[in-house]
Amino acid sequence: MPLEKNKKQRQKWIVLGFALVFGLLAIFLLGTAENVSAAPLQVDYAKGNKCTDCHAEPDRTLTLDSGEILYTTIEMDVFAASAHGEADLACEDCHTDAGLRHFPHRGETPKNLREFSLQMYESCQECHQEEYDKTIDSMHGQALEAGDQNAAICTDCHDPHEQHRLTNEETGELLPEARLHIPETCARCHSTIYDVYAESVHGAALTQESNLDVPTCIDCHGVHDIADPTTASYRLQSPNICADCHSDSERMDKYDISTNIFDTYLADFHGTSVLLFEQRSPDQEVNKPVCFDCHGVHDIYSPDNPEHGLAIKENLLDTCQQCHPDVTANFSDAWMSHYVPDPEHFPIVYFVDLFYKILIPLVIGGMLIFVGSDIFRRVTNRRKSGAKS
Amino acid sequence: MSKTIKTYPRFTLPQRIEHVVMLLSFTILGLTGLPQRYPSNGFAASLVSLLGGVENTRNIHHLAAIALMLVTAYHILVIGYKLYVLRVRATMLPSFQDAKDAWQAFTYNLRLTKKPPKMGRYTYEEKVEYWALVWGTVIMGITGFMMWNPITTTRYFPGEFIPAAKAAHSAEAVLAVLAVLIWHMYSVHIKRFNKAMWTGDLTEEEMQHEHPLELAEIKAGEGDAEVDQKTLRKRQMIYFPIAGVLATLMLAGVYIFVQSEETAITTYIPKVEESLPVYAPQTPTPFP
Repeated sequence: MPLEKNKKQRQKWIVLGFALVFGLLAIFLLGTAENVSAAPLQVDYAKGNKCTDCHAEPDRTLTLDSGEILYTTIEMDVFAASAHGEADLACEDCHTDAGLRHFPHRGETPKNLREFSLQMYESCQECHQEEYDKTIDSMHGQALEAGDQNAAICTDCHDPHEQHRLTNEETGELLPEARLHIPETCARCHSTIYDVYAESVHGAALTQESNLDVPTCIDCHGVHDIADPTTASYRLQSPNICADCHSDSERMDKYDISTNIFDTYLADFHGTSVLLFEQRSPDQEVNKPVCFDCHGVHDIYSPDNPEHGLAIKENLLDTCQQCHPDVTANFSDAWMSHYVPDPEHFPIVYFVDLFYKILIPLVIGGMLIFVGSDIFRRVTNRRKSGAKS
Repeated sequence: MSKTIKTYPRFTLPQRIEHVVMLLSFTILGLTGLPQRYPSNGFAASLVSLLGGVENTRNIHHLAAIALMLVTAYHILVIGYKLYVLRVRATMLPSFQDAKDAWQAFTYNLRLTKKPPKMGRYTYEEKVEYWALVWGTVIMGITGFMMWNPITTTRYFPGEFIPAAKAAHSAEAVLAVLAVLIWHMYSVHIKRFNKAMWTGDLTEEEMQHEHPLELAEIKAGEGDAEVDQKTLRKRQMIYFPIAGVLATLMLAGVYIFVQSEETAITTYIPKVEESLPVYAPQTPTPFP
């Protein structure tokens, strides 16, 4: 039957065609996959296949569309020593994409490194919900939301394969070793600010002397809930940040630094204004200075620093002139440099205070005695006239 | 059968108006000033809030200060007119008799003396108030000028004068407010509600009680003599030009007080360092 023979032949061709297409497809897929030659076609964890079968091999890379290279080797000894390694986390705890269970991995390859990070960091909230939420609400989170892809996400500060524990497991307090390296973490993105900080009295003590009494970035900016430090409200409440450490005598006594800088600031016109502003309208722009307007933001120097220190009169005058452009040399003494007036420092102020400390009780006391005597006369008058009648 | 009670004039209408202006400016100055002396006090904060913030509070304080300066200038001119043109006796000047009166009043109150002092036009109580106000206004004016114009002040004086002025200004304020609350309140409101500053008059009984010597003088016709028209004109011709110059000088003084300098920039300029690029990633580490 020629017709039947014809049909059989056609079927043969279809099968061949399909085989060819599948074959080509397979070759194509293999070719585009990672540069792996002899690998099992199907990852089956139940059968003992593991991510580390491939990813523990050294120098594995994946070139992304952007031309960037994604390093796909996990150094297992480093990971084992990390907080996640210590907690025995498995790869798929974070890398939850079902496509990864297949080999070659299914699913879309990220176009660039940043896109990959932005996909991955969302896994962090599975275990670190609180920190994750804080970060979403932070300055970084807001910038990301606004479309700035460079805004820091979890993994920018904490490499999930390498991050050690930063806090004491029981107390939750930051470990000293971790504190020491905080500015380096922030420097990854904020290198110019880091350079300024590292030169400052605080930064130099930390980076050169490993002094942990000084503030690192997070002491002023917070950790995950980092707020925008350029807002009016941040500026208005900033003196409290400085006061936290500078009113702490335990910390300040070591360096012979006065602990009443905050009180003397508040006693001054500037501080009084800022405090009243803060209470009244925390979002208002204030033209009165807060600590960092005179002392510097990240570039805070010791008052004795010849070039920048405010104990040096020319430097102080320069500082005054930032807001009081027309002033002459005498003017800078109108600011009492955090001194509480005494016969040595600012004697005129001291004696004016003393004068009124004597005059007010004297005058008011005298008046009270006089008024008291009049009341006495009237009361006794009434009693006498009452007795008469 | 309402028989009109005999009254004696005590304060003229202009004097009473002057008192009201003084009273208002003093109260406003106190209410806007004291919260700045005690900024961490909760009541101070609410008061500043009520007044629309600390800048507004300061503006109100300055306006009240201008009112006080103007009324002071007016007072000086009127005193000059009364003393030179009308040649009234300077009954407000303190004298040794006042100290004696005060002592007698005190011992009388303590029942050590039988009789209270007999006093004239102005009693020691009133003189204490008047001269306290003069002292206070001078101190507040000078120290207020220094704080309002620190740049001008430090061009001629040491910088330390500014915090010293502030110390004096705020301590003097406490003294003045307490003195008014204690002395003034007691002597004209609590002891006996004295309405003379509002009605302008005192009754014969009140005069007899408080100003017996003055009453006796009035009855004896020994008050200030009337100046005849001719002398009055002559003196006015001399006094008015002088008063004009004085008034101009004092107004210029107030203008200088208010306008002499722009102390500080009005808008906050962030520091240069803050304009560093915020995002400045480090050069990525070479690939491992």
